[in-house]
Amino acid sequence: MQITAAAAATVFVAWLFLGYTPPERRTYAGREKVVFWHMWTSNWADVINRIVDRYNKSQDRYEVVPLIVTGGSLKTLIATAGGDPPDCMAQWEMVIPAWAERGAITPLDSLMEPEEWVDLKARLYPAVRKIGTYRDHFYGLSTGMNIWAMYYRPSHFIEADLDPNHFPKTLDELDKIAEELYCYDDQGRIRRIGFMANQLRHWIAIFGGSLYDYQSDRLTIMNPRNVAALTWMASYGEKYGFEQVLEFQAGLPSTFAANWPFITGAYSIVLDGQWRVEQLRQYAPDLDYETAPVPTPKGGKPLAGWSNGNFMIIPKEAKNKEGAMEFMRFWSGVDKPERAAEFYTWGGWLPIVPEIAEAPIYQEYLRKYPKFRTFVEMMASPNIQVTPPTPVQAFLNQRLFWAEDAACRGEWTPAGALEEMDKDLKRELTNMRLPAKPAG
Amino acid sequence: MFNRRDLTGWLFASPIVIGLLVFTVYPFFASLYLSFCDYDIFTSPNWIGWTNYTTLFTQDPLFWKSLKNVLFYTAFAVPLSIAFGVILALLLDANIRGLSVYRTLFFLPSIVPIVASSVLWMWLLNPRIGLVNTLLRLVGVEGPAWLNDPGWSKPSLIIMAVWGVGHFMIIYLAGLKDIPVTLYEAAMVDGASAWQRMRHVTLPMLTPVIFFNLVMGLIGAFQYFTQAFIMTAGGPLDSTLFYALNLFYQAFRYLKMGYASAMAWVLFVIVVAITAAVFKSQGRWVHYGR
Repeated sequence: MQITAAAAATVFVAWLFLGYTPPERRTYAGREKVVFWHMWTSNWADVINRIVDRYNKSQDRYEVVPLIVTGGSLKTLIATAGGDPPDCMAQWEMVIPAWAERGAITPLDSLMEPEEWVDLKARLYPAVRKIGTYRDHFYGLSTGMNIWAMYYRPSHFIEADLDPNHFPKTLDELDKIAEELYCYDDQGRIRRIGFMANQLRHWIAIFGGSLYDYQSDRLTIMNPRNVAALTWMASYGEKYGFEQVLEFQAGLPSTFAANWPFITGAYSIVLDGQWRVEQLRQYAPDLDYETAPVPTPKGGKPLAGWSNGNFMIIPKEAKNKEGAMEFMRFWSGVDKPERAAEFYTWGGWLPIVPEIAEAPIYQEYLRKYPKFRTFVEMMASPNIQVTPPTPVQAFLNQRLFWAEDAACRGEWTPAGALEEMDKDLKRELTNMRLPAKPAG
Repeated sequence: MFNRRDLTGWLFASPIVIGLLVFTVYPFFASLYLSFCDYDIFTSPNWIGWTNYTTLFTQDPLFWKSLKNVLFYTAFAVPLSIAFGVILALLLDANIRGLSVYRTLFFLPSIVPIVASSVLWMWLLNPRIGLVNTLLRLVGVEGPAWLNDPGWSKPSLIIMAVWGVGHFMIIYLAGLKDIPVTLYEAAMVDGASAWQRMRHVTLPMLTPVIFFNLVMGLIGAFQYFTQAFIMTAGGPLDSTLFYALNLFYQAFRYLKMGYASAMAWVLFVIVVAITAAVFKSQGRWVHYGR
C-alpha cells in the first residue's frame, strides 16, 4: 500500500513537472497554429490582440495564438535552446546579429519569392533594411521603429526672451540658447535644464561619424567625427557640471510615460523618441510643446540620428514558418500597405515603407498629430544610423555607454575613452570563437 | 538489494533526490565541462581546452576589474557586518525595557526582500531628495552622489550591507545565550571588570559563532549580485561590476556560456581557498570552550 502510494505520488509529481501541458484555448480549432510571442502588456497588448484578431478573421488557414512573454530575450533564448520556440516573435533589434550569427533564426528572404525580396529590399526605409540584414540575409521585419528628434517648450523660450517660432538649425545656435534656458535656484543649484547632451550614438550620426564601415565590415570606433561628437558632449558636462546635472536628474521622477520630466518643465529641450507624442496626447493633452529635427553641427549631417525598433523574427526551429511569414506580411503591410497603415496608427508607430506613410489613413493620422511628422520625415533619411551589425552588439552597447559616461564625467578624455572602447571591442571580437556558419 | 521498506523510503525521498541530481549535481559537472568549451546555447559545445581560462587571466580587463570590485566589497562588508552584528547583539542582550521591540526593529531589514530594500536604498541615497543627503545637509555637509559616483558606489553598497546585519545579529544573540553564566560568575569573583568580562569571556566564547558568520559572510559576499544588478547595473564606470554580475552578463547578455562557466569555476576555487584558509586559521582564534 505504502509503495503504491509513494510510486503514485512520484509519478504524479514527475508528470506535473515534465509532462503536463495546460489545455489551450483555440478559437479556430481546425486551422494551423502559429504561436506568436511578444513583449507588450496593458494597452499595448490590446493593440496587438486587435491586429491578431484582424489577421485571424482575414483568412481561414492559420490561427495566430499570441502569448505575452516578458523578461527580455532570455526566455525565448531558453525556449529556442530547448528546441521548442514559438513560430514567430517580436524582439528588440539587438538579438538579430547575435542570433543570426549562431544560426538560431531563419533568414526571411528564404521564405520569400526572389522577386518579393528584391522588391521589398528596394522599398524598405534604410534603417529598417540595415537592422534586419545580417551578412547579406534578411532576418527581421520591423513592426515599429524608433526615431529620436528634439522636443521643446515654446513657453520656456518666451520666458528666456527667445523666439519660440525659431528652433536652432545649427548646433552652435543650440549651445547658445541652451545656456539661456538653464535656470538655477538661490543656492546656484539647477532648477531647469536648458538642454543636456546625452546618448552618444545619436550624436555620432549627427556629427557625420560612424561606428561601422559596411564596405569593409569593420568597426570604426576611432572615426575622428566620433571623437568630435563625444568631445562636444563632454563640453556640456564641463560647462554645466556633470555632477550637478546628475544630482538634478536624480531628483526627478522616472522618465516613463506620465512622469516624463519634460511635462513638468524640468527640461526645455530634450532629444527623445517619437512615442512621446502619443504619451503626451494621453497624459498631457494640453501641454504646449513642439518637435523639430536635430540641429546640425559644422561638418555634420542633416536629419541624422540613431534608430532602433521591434523586429519580428522566426526561430530556426519554428514549426510553422510559412504561417509566421504570412502573419508578418499582414502586420507589417509589406504586401498591402494601405491595409496595415491602420495598425500603425493604432500603435503610433513609424512606417517601415514609404507607401504606409503615404496611405490616406496614415496621412489623416499625421494631420491629427502634426508633431509626429518630424519623425516620419526622418525615417526616409539616409543619415539615420543603426547599431553596427556585429555579433558583439550587446557588448558594444555596454562599452559605448561606458565611453560616454567616462568622457562626460571628465574621467577620460573623449579620444581616450573611445580608444579604450575600441581596444575592448577588438579584444572581444578576437576572443569570440564562433564557428563560421553558412546562413540559411 | 533493496527491501520493501527501503524502496518506500527512496520513493518518498525521490522528488528531492531527483531534483538534487537534475538541478544541482548535473549542472555542477556540466558547468565544469562547459568551462572548457565554446558554448553559446544555440550550438553544441565546442571543446577548446584551457582557452577560456587563459583568456580570463590574460586578456580580459573586466574580469580583473570585477574581481577587484568583489574583493573590495568583501574586505569591508564582511568585517563591518561582523563588528556591527556583534555590537548590536551585545547591546540587545542587555536587560532593558522594550527589548523585543528593538530586536524586531534591527532584525526587520533582513526580512525585507532584496528587491524592495534595494529600491528603498536607491531612494535613501538619492543625491538630491534622498534622506541621507537631506540629513547631511542639515548639518552643513553636501553629501556625495552615492550610487552615481564611481568613488562612492561601492561604499554605498557596503553601508547597505551593514544595515542588513539583522540575521547575523540573531545568531550572535543565540550564541550569547549559550555562554554559561558560571563563567561570568567566576570572572566576577575574580574581580573582572565589565570590559574584561566582555574581552576575556564573552568574545572568546562567541568565536565559534563569529567563525560561522565569517564563513557564510565570505561566501555570500563573493556571490554578491542582486543589489548591484538592480541598483547600479554595474555602473558607474564599472565600479560596481561585481564578479557574479559580470558572470551573469557574460552568460546571458553576451551568450558566452562556456566563458561564464570558467568564471564560475575560478570563483569556486577562490571561495574554497579562502574558506579553507579561514578554517585553517580557526585553531588560533576560535574557542570551543573545551
